[in-house]
Amino acid sequence: MKKVVMYTLSTCPWCMRAKKFFREHDIPFEYTDYDKADDNTKKAIREDCLAHKSEMSFPFVKIDDDVVVGYNPDKYAKLLGL
Amino acid sequence: MDNEKRKGQLRTMFSKVVDPLGYKFSPDEELVDFLLEQEVNIEKEKGSPFCPCQGLTGEREHDMKLVCPCIPFHREHYDAMRRCWCGLYVHKDVKDPDSLPQISLKEFLEAKK
Amino acid sequence: MKQEDNWIFALKTDDLGNGEKKPLLLENNKVLVLRIDGDFFAMSNKCPHMECPLSKGTLEQYVIKCPCHDWRFDVREGKFLDAEEIRVPIYETKVMEESVFVNLNMEGAGK
Repeated sequence: MKKVVMYTLSTCPWCMRAKKFFREHDIPFEYTDYDKADDNTKKAIREDCLAHKSEMSFPFVKIDDDVVVGYNPDKYAKLLGL
Repeated sequence: MDNEKRKGQLRTMFSKVVDPLGYKFSPDEELVDFLLEQEVNIEKEKGSPFCPCQGLTGEREHDMKLVCPCIPFHREHYDAMRRCWCGLYVHKDVKDPDSLPQISLKEFLEAKK
Repeated sequence: MKQEDNWIFALKTDDLGNGEKKPLLLENNKVLVLRIDGDFFAMSNKCPHMECPLSKGTLEQYVIKCPCHDWRFDVREGKFLDAEEIRVPIYETKVMEESVFVNLNMEGAGK
């Protein structure tokens, strides 16, 4: 199964919808709320976003090596072969 | 000040800002209420009502471009989506905001090329 | 009412040096008067974003930067530099006998 890792904000409704999508499809995922993270984690998330040429717009969803920025259930489903 | 009162104030101030830009509050009232609630809490914590869906870096020049309404600083990108990133505002002609996808800045810039 | 009747005394020309600004309350309107290169400008002192007092911002040539969120406006036309559709109301000024007058009923030439 592909690995799903998300960067999210605790205040962002689209991040909540993304989490709900994966839960409803029984896809395990890890997530970190950027706004609640410690400084080192924040820095690492910023660098990861930059490495993917992305602004820090959330949700930032990694499905194996693919990245989807934003709530986009069609893309999530396609990448997961749902 | 209680949250409901501040939400009302932000709504009044921000509608005057987004109107001349061709935007309005999303017709999704539940979403609008949720986002304004977040902004009021963010304002209490950080001093300004920053976008609830974009990350701050602590660098003033970067972060000030994320104070709501942040449309002026992301105009072309948001015009292409016909909504702002968090969806609090949509173009005035939008009736069904759920039909509008989030397009990442990278995708937008690639499509523009 | 004729427009000529609406000139309100704001301050003496000596009250402001070049590059200086002063907030005033003119007939219950919060007005910011500025002097740049010898010319006087007047605008609403409330930022159209969140109503912060522009008088506490920084002035560089003709651009004033709001102290709250760094929104920048051209004091000559009131335009917000990042989206010209958004404007701070501006008012005409005139100098007579070393006094600066502001016309609150008439927006300046920028419109």
